[in-house]
Amino acid sequence: MNQTDLVHLYWRAGFGAKPSLIADSKKLSKINTVNGLFYTSKKTETIKLDLSDFGDYFNTPYNKLRKNLGDAESRKLRQKSQKKVRELNFIWLNKMASSEQVLREKMTLFWANIFVCKDTHILHVLKFNNTLRTYALGNFVDFVKAISRSASMLKYLNNNRNFKKKPNENFARELMELFTLGIGNYTESDIKEAARAFTGWSFKPNGDYVLRVSKHDTDSKTFLAENGNFGGDEIIDIITKQRACAKFICSKVYRYFVNPIEDIDHIEELTTVFYKDYNIEKLMRYLFMTDWFYDDKNIGVKIKSPIELMVGMQKVVPSLFKKQNQVIYLQKMMGQILLYPVNVAGWKGDRYWIDSNSLMFRLKLPALVFSNGQISLMSKGEFEDTFKEFYKNKKQRFSVDDNERAYFETHYSKWSFNELSEILVVPRIDVDTSKMLKAYQSQNSFQYCIQLMSIPEYQLC
Amino acid sequence: MKRRDFLIKSSMASSVVLVPSFMKAFESLDPRLFGYKKLVVIQLSGGNDGLNTLIPYRNDLYYSNRPGISIPKNRLIDMNGELGLNENLSPLKALYDKGYLSIINNVGYPNPNRSHSRSTDIWHTASNASEYLDSGWMGRYIDQYGKKPYTGIEVDDSLSLILKGRTINGVATKDAKKMFNNAKTPFFSKVLETQTEMHLSEHNLGYLYKTMVGAKSSAKYIYETSKTSNSTKSYPNNPFAKQLKTTAEFINSKLETKVYYVSMGGFDTHANQANRQSRLLKTYSEAMDVFVKDLEASDSFKDTLILTFSEFGRRVQQNAAGGTDHGAANNLFVIGKNLKKPGLYNDSPDLMNLDKNGDLKYTIDFRSVYATLLDQWLDASHSKVLGSSFETLDFI
Repeated sequence: MNQTDLVHLYWRAGFGAKPSLIADSKKLSKINTVNGLFYTSKKTETIKLDLSDFGDYFNTPYNKLRKNLGDAESRKLRQKSQKKVRELNFIWLNKMASSEQVLREKMTLFWANIFVCKDTHILHVLKFNNTLRTYALGNFVDFVKAISRSASMLKYLNNNRNFKKKPNENFARELMELFTLGIGNYTESDIKEAARAFTGWSFKPNGDYVLRVSKHDTDSKTFLAENGNFGGDEIIDIITKQRACAKFICSKVYRYFVNPIEDIDHIEELTTVFYKDYNIEKLMRYLFMTDWFYDDKNIGVKIKSPIELMVGMQKVVPSLFKKQNQVIYLQKMMGQILLYPVNVAGWKGDRYWIDSNSLMFRLKLPALVFSNGQISLMSKGEFEDTFKEFYKNKKQRFSVDDNERAYFETHYSKWSFNELSEILVVPRIDVDTSKMLKAYQSQNSFQYCIQLMSIPEYQLC
Repeated sequence: MKRRDFLIKSSMASSVVLVPSFMKAFESLDPRLFGYKKLVVIQLSGGNDGLNTLIPYRNDLYYSNRPGISIPKNRLIDMNGELGLNENLSPLKALYDKGYLSIINNVGYPNPNRSHSRSTDIWHTASNASEYLDSGWMGRYIDQYGKKPYTGIEVDDSLSLILKGRTINGVATKDAKKMFNNAKTPFFSKVLETQTEMHLSEHNLGYLYKTMVGAKSSAKYIYETSKTSNSTKSYPNNPFAKQLKTTAEFINSKLETKVYYVSMGGFDTHANQANRQSRLLKTYSEAMDVFVKDLEASDSFKDTLILTFSEFGRRVQQNAAGGTDHGAANNLFVIGKNLKKPGLYNDSPDLMNLDKNGDLKYTIDFRSVYATLLDQWLDASHSKVLGSSFETLDFI
């Protein structure tokens, strides 16, 4: 595979790649590279958290817990749980940066913005997050069924308060509007009927799904022109029978993995593949093997999300953020805090990430994280301090890992500046900016990389 | 129009060809193009309970619907023998007595949406309940009138939809110095200086360069104009008061910014509402009190109008948790020196005649409020900004 296509593929199927990986992959054919992506993501490595020390919090309903322990103690546990969610944010981000299962992690991030959910119960949040990871490349129909049974989602969309006597439509509405069909492919009456089918779907304190039979409506429903004593699973089966569902997901996949501007024909092509059996892995394989995925017009045109930006930087310099608070602060400044979506529709993405403040912050981020906010700017021939001396004098505000400098010296110095630029920056660099870079490029490969990561082009993938 | 189509259309619209003079245009500015009028829009995010803000204390229905959370007659500030302000809003009463406060009741829109995000989007974009727009009404005002990013400032870390235009976005900043220091990074200046002619147009890369140009000149302008303006008033120590302080410093420094947006969160009082809402209203009114005094001290208050809204009101009937659920129509505050009809602008809410969810019905469309502000305060033509014509009101 040629270098441009490889960089493109690794950015879309993952979070970019370091030069050595690109160099190794060049020898492989497209099919082998694509197979490799799926092979490394074959197994699911779930996130595990130490959740001992929560007493009865995970097996007792909260009201009962409050009775047993009193207000103060039970509140303490709840706050502890909320704090753990922030810890999960940190662990998840670092997992994306360090996991070998790049495609699975990328897909997990993608699905997290389809099946948008927010919760403060750490065990439920963790289970939900691992559900996304487990089904990320699996069967979409099973995926929707698993999501619909998860405690976090049942809470988030109030299905735990959806009872035969007093149905709550929130889940049924979002299931169709945001998760499967999209507006225009169902009626208000379909929502009401689907809500009835999900009555009684609830969960135990430990997050396991339970059907509260006495709250469940077993009577006949009419849904999308079909009749029967449907339960939730039948509703999902009928939804996924609609081609509109496959198309809805394929257009999401297209906008996220290919181009924020849709190409109707290519989406149709994907829909035909996906509609056959809703196999997500097959769909993604097909996509990465098409010729048009590698078309010029699809390369370097996507604005990285803040998470893609942060994780991508860590792929360049394999390092992990050390401080949880810093990581949350960075996400907040750029408007995307993992596990804390702004609303049920998720992050809008692409240009919505960018305003004057967030852009300047994003442009400065690589320098902030790796070199204390400094971006070298000396015309050729001027004396340049060795980086070590410079480094010694400055207090590092954002510490990532002490070894990144050493890493650069051993791993990056052997690459030509041209190669570095082609690997780090996906779109073609603007002519003027390219000239400017040539005039001011640092002779030190570490600082040159920081320069490359500080131009607007680096914001794209 | 479908959301996607709209997105494509608006991205087409933003395909301004970039030329070097584009940068200059940001820096040289003819002040005559600008009036001196400023508008500050404040959102009480989460849905402020209007009925416990302005209490219909002669109405038995109010008390019977809210046995646990209603406010007794002896704990409110009487306004007109029928309605009373929450006792934590005493600074607003002082403004009211001076004729600086106008309260508009029953503001909302047809088919109210009770989701925070969706209803906030509706208020921000000035759309119908069934229409999805990708630009905010203040953003479209920038597009057509100020034409500079800093025509609109959100005093916060990131920019809300309300200030996103079709072609120009407003600026988000809580700290002009920080923004300026970041933007003046020599490397970024060099990137922009070196641009001879932009080879970029409607695509995302062009958008990034364009935003960068706007950010840099806005940061410079905002910082250099406002750096000498330090408020001497002492504001309470909380984030909202700090944001208002920054806003006052911007306004008092004679920045050419026309519209400001600040939001204050926490009003989603589903449970144990009484204490929480009281605390929030106190925070709001104490900060507002200093803010108005600060503007008055610099003689800017006469040219400033402050609108406070919330994305929806709350249900008339309290819930089982000592709180209230999401509702519909709500009251809003207009604060300023030149009000045509200070005090209570219209009738109090009708608790007899609720919608099928048990929520207040609107009698004034929120876009009529916007239309009035645009036409009569900002010298704009509201139909150009809002997309269609609305009846204007008579409060300024």
